[in-house]
Amino acid sequence: MTRYLLRRLGHGLLILFGVSLLLFILQQAAPGDFLSDMKLNSQISEGTAKALRAQYGVDQPLPRRYGRWMLSVAKGELGYSFAYNVSASSLLAPRVLNTLLLSVPALAITWIIAVPLGVVASAWRGRWLDRFFSAGTSLALAMPDLLLALLAILIALRTHRYPVGGMHSVGAQDWGWFARMKDLGWHMALPVAVVVIGSVSPILRQVRSSMIAVLDSSYMRAAEGHGLRKWTLLFRHALPAAANPLISLFGLSVAMLLSVTLLVEVVMSWPGIGPLLLESILSRDLFVVIGAVMLSTLLLVIGNLIADVLLYAVDPRIRVQA
Amino acid sequence: MSSLNVVSPNPEQLLRVSGLSVEYRSASGGIIHAVRDLDLAIGEQESVGVLGASGSGKSSLAAALLRLLPANAEWVAGDIQIRGKSLSTLPRAELRRMRGAGIALISQEPALALNPVLPVGRQIHDVLQAHFTLDQTQCNEKSVAMLRAVGFDDPERILRAYPHQLSGGERQRAAIAQALVCQPAFLIADEPLSSLDAVTQSEVLRLLQRFRRELKMAMLFITHNAGVLSALADRVVVMRAGEIVASGKLDELGRNPDPYVRSLIHPEEALTASNAASTHGASTRGDVRNFPSARTYAATVSATSMNSANFAEQTVRMPQQEGSTPLLEVVGLTKEFTQRGFLSRKKFTVRALDAVDLSLRQGSAVAVIGRSGSGKSTLARVIAGFERADEGQVLLQGVPKEKSQPIVREVQMIFQDAGTALNTRFTAAESIYEPLVIAGQGTELERRQRAVQLMEEVGLDPDWYGRPAGEFSGGQKQRLALARALAADPKLLILDEAFSGLDLPLQAQMLRLLLDLQSRHGLTYLLITHDLNFISLFASEVVVMDEGRIVERTTPLRMRESSQSVTQQLVRSAERMHAPGLEAMA
Repeated sequence: MTRYLLRRLGHGLLILFGVSLLLFILQQAAPGDFLSDMKLNSQISEGTAKALRAQYGVDQPLPRRYGRWMLSVAKGELGYSFAYNVSASSLLAPRVLNTLLLSVPALAITWIIAVPLGVVASAWRGRWLDRFFSAGTSLALAMPDLLLALLAILIALRTHRYPVGGMHSVGAQDWGWFARMKDLGWHMALPVAVVVIGSVSPILRQVRSSMIAVLDSSYMRAAEGHGLRKWTLLFRHALPAAANPLISLFGLSVAMLLSVTLLVEVVMSWPGIGPLLLESILSRDLFVVIGAVMLSTLLLVIGNLIADVLLYAVDPRIRVQA
Repeated sequence: MSSLNVVSPNPEQLLRVSGLSVEYRSASGGIIHAVRDLDLAIGEQESVGVLGASGSGKSSLAAALLRLLPANAEWVAGDIQIRGKSLSTLPRAELRRMRGAGIALISQEPALALNPVLPVGRQIHDVLQAHFTLDQTQCNEKSVAMLRAVGFDDPERILRAYPHQLSGGERQRAAIAQALVCQPAFLIADEPLSSLDAVTQSEVLRLLQRFRRELKMAMLFITHNAGVLSALADRVVVMRAGEIVASGKLDELGRNPDPYVRSLIHPEEALTASNAASTHGASTRGDVRNFPSARTYAATVSATSMNSANFAEQTVRMPQQEGSTPLLEVVGLTKEFTQRGFLSRKKFTVRALDAVDLSLRQGSAVAVIGRSGSGKSTLARVIAGFERADEGQVLLQGVPKEKSQPIVREVQMIFQDAGTALNTRFTAAESIYEPLVIAGQGTELERRQRAVQLMEEVGLDPDWYGRPAGEFSGGQKQRLALARALAADPKLLILDEAFSGLDLPLQAQMLRLLLDLQSRHGLTYLLITHDLNFISLFASEVVVMDEGRIVERTTPLRMRESSQSVTQQLVRSAERMHAPGLEAMA
């Protein structure tokens, strides 16, 4: 098991290295950079621009720039932001936390809803309940996230019960701890709801279809023939047997923690990584973009690692192969 | 503790099925009548055998008795009463309590009857807890006692084990323990032996006999092998196309003139009669018509032993007349598999093949027998080129098989389950000529002509050549697989348990076909099998394997006199099961 994990960890590090290299090469292929826009500004002399390029090291050859970036990664800075003139990590860290504040509860709620509903839908396959779920998930899948987010804003505007956007009420920093938490929860409610509605459908469908495959199996029929209770059959016998594809999907969920809320953050002005990433891409703030992508890759690696460990724990057959 | 909590108006009658009809809706919209207007009564503690070819509705009957019919099946008419209570009107909760505690089911495939991701112990506990209020320790005590009763010396290990960590026989015994742990009054056993090797079959059979006595159970034993029923059934009903066509004691049925009943009770007759009729086979195989049937074996042994001796000697001698280079030679094959444990670095090395030597002459038929896990299948896979041996060599006509060219067209393999070996979306013709496409042989037209010709040869209607392979029945699929193997014009056919999934009359038909093809094309057969059905009629030489080694090389005739305990055990078990065709060994 330890060796298996170490091997997986090694693969993960290799992936991170490969992705960073690829990012550097790709950005090289794109024309221009943050500083090249200065040429258009007649107030900045060519000499100043050149000096700035030298100061930031943009004029250096690619391997050298990559080496310098690696050094700053080792220092935990992830490069620097041209736009804000601070280290990329100091810019990213609070934003990442805000995003996780939104996405972790959202995905947790998604799974808590999707698994039991998927199981129930599979057990009453073809009946009205299953059809109702099937219609509901189709609708949710067909609805663009953007529309959902706008609908949420509309609800907030019409009902006046929810804040229209942002993360804190004005002046909240002076309130007590409990009041601040309540305020935060208040602001979270609608964005979380939008993310949950957007992501519950594929998981519910996956749960349903892998449960159906298991429920049709001969061992489930045998277990039914032994007179087990319906809920024991569904949740104790069928669900663990159906878990493998779900665990892989869970790993993907973890990998999506930084990206699933991107659009919602931008539309509902949640100060997460989404608006920052958008702004950085537009202004070609290279290292902030690379930092964000690297963090996403890191989550992908972590998500897969979690899935592997869970699979190892749930399915005794995988232990034989590993 | 037998817990059918229903009032019984007629104490002798446990089960009464009247006018039962079950229909299946097939995917193409047609309706299949699986059970038609069936009447059956089973008394308390009575054991009834149900005998029938595949597709005769046996398993649908079993499923209907527990109201476990699959979703596409419908209970059309009739009633099932258990101790006077009608099953069709039983409320769900009561039905659930009856399943497992009142009526228990042992299903066909032990590997598929247990949940692969749950420990065996938990699966037994769940059955107990579904019917009784027991705490963890009581559950444990009961399951341990039950596992001991089915013959496990180390029940704690079994409780913790996952199904894949048990052997086929262990799994079937664990499944029996699970079915009987609530001590039901009535047991339905749906082909519980067909996927087990001969020795395990006889162990499980003995176990069921003992439980029947001790728990005073009534029993419905479903099988296609009449031999098993002599030891177990008070009464036998024969099913065909959903109907009961005959019933009575097994020896009475043995005298039934109906050809269908005869084909089930004396499946070897089909083989011997037609073999004699075919002009190709008869001359080389001696007079095999006089082989006694399974049922009358004791009485006629002395009369026929001369004939069968003749036959076996001839078949052994025949191949030796041909050239001196064997078709296939295997020298010192060794193959190991490694398994690793959970959270530990301990490795289990299984030596599947241990310095195996074997040689096959052109035109001979050699059977490799042994219990499951004895390395037979690994041997077949190495010879066919699916696995590479750690040591040793496979020589084909004296030439070592090239490592760069692992699969040689001269060697073809037919697998146990033709259903999974064929791509169900290919048409029959596509399935057959696929090897020719891979070899880049012939034009499209020539390939099609060859496919049609092969279909005729294996006894399939050539008009079906455009049908998808998935629409053929089990026996027909096996013929299709045979035709595909023949398309490559092989010299050696490896039959890896190629008949185990078929019922006995179908097995006999397949063997007949193979013998026919052998005499026509001079094929060489390597038959890998765990049971001894028909072995004396088919093989001239028997190789007995155990734990990766060849323990004995003999003829079917001399197996009985073997001094090897493995061989003895296989023969004795086969006798217990009355394997058809085995009696020629006497």
